[in-house]
Amino acid sequence: TAPAPGKKRWLRAYLELQRLQAPPQRRSEKPNWDYHAEVQAFSHRLQENFALDLLKTAFVNPCYIESEEARRRQLGLDKDAVALQLQDNTGLAERGLRFARAYLAQCFEGAYPELPAKGIEALVNFLTSQELVSYVAQNLSVQDLALCRDFPAPPDVLQRTFLAVIGALLESSGPERTGIFVRDFFIPQLIGKDLFEIWEVVNPMGLLLEELTKRNISAPEPRITRQLGVSTVLPVYFVGLYCDKKMLAEGPGETLLAAEEEAARVALRKLYGYTENRRPWDYSKPKQGLAAEKAISSN
Amino acid sequence: RYVRQLQRLQLLFSPTAADARGAREFVEEAAQDFARQHPDVVLYVSPHSGPGPAPVLRAEYLNGTVRDELIASKTSEEIVQLATKLANQSGLDIIRIRKPFHTDNPSVQGQWHPLTNKPSILTVQGPRLQPQ
Repeated sequence: TAPAPGKKRWLRAYLELQRLQAPPQRRSEKPNWDYHAEVQAFSHRLQENFALDLLKTAFVNPCYIESEEARRRQLGLDKDAVALQLQDNTGLAERGLRFARAYLAQCFEGAYPELPAKGIEALVNFLTSQELVSYVAQNLSVQDLALCRDFPAPPDVLQRTFLAVIGALLESSGPERTGIFVRDFFIPQLIGKDLFEIWEVVNPMGLLLEELTKRNISAPEPRITRQLGVSTVLPVYFVGLYCDKKMLAEGPGETLLAAEEEAARVALRKLYGYTENRRPWDYSKPKQGLAAEKAISSN
Repeated sequence: RYVRQLQRLQLLFSPTAADARGAREFVEEAAQDFARQHPDVVLYVSPHSGPGPAPVLRAEYLNGTVRDELIASKTSEEIVQLATKLANQSGLDIIRIRKPFHTDNPSVQGQWHPLTNKPSILTVQGPRLQPQ
């Protein structure tokens, strides 16, 4: 006799396997997607008033336009229909990048006045680097809204889209609000990071000597302060840097040279005011006018 | 600033099944108010006709987690409460939290290491000064 008709036992497992092995698709190609509603929700989520058409141009990448035109040409449409009416986000992205760099540099100059230009440049480069900006963009759902050729969107595309969003905000709401936006989303990425993780310094001792000559302090004298386990595999030396017999900084290390370099780094951190126990960043409402005018003038 | 972690809520229910009654009432009465109060959450209402899977409320978060909640045989108010609960959550997995505390600054004066309170080799122990 034939087996009774009905759902087989293996069907559920088979469907589950199909679901897991399906290639990853853009969220816009899955069911339940309304682009306009998503863009509006995006602007509400960031608590900012965007001009929606600027925001929509900010999400359009040049690779998307090329791929769309190629697809339309392949389908055999007329020359007029092939040309899309969409604008790129490259202009907005450039403006956003310039504003973000100027604003962040100005913030750091105000907060750490002792830090030299190279240090500020290193910090700003780190904050506008591809990995960081694409990480921030991923967690703000920019990767769902950005129109681009490949899926998942590569980090440089996400970086360009997010900077274009900042540019669109600059055009719609003005430099003050954009400054607050940049401050709220970029500066918390510095929490827990040490200065010399971000800024590669090859010769901290030389840099320290330059800084001390600028302040008219005599050259530091390194002395061993403490040592442990000298004849073992893992010795620890604490080298202190003394200027005029007063201690400047003390740093540990495995060998004497490493300890001296670490002491120089600790001294630099103290001089630039970027220690671990500095005052946390001030996120209160800024005073009217000053910051915005400086940002526009430096643009 | 605060960014709500809930991206979108998808309400999948059937217009004829008996256990989706609460979902239908929610859509008729409370869905618009909920959407107005939470402008940063996109609410999709998709009725699938005919006998299908159980009515479910699917929540998608900014970090990619998708959470399904069954709303079969729930009243409209309960669905509203459930939706607000999902809207106030973050998308992190709901697992046992190992410690209820966390700090970014574990030490203020510097962490203790075995050499903290030992005097340095440079301090010179001179003869005791006689009281004058």
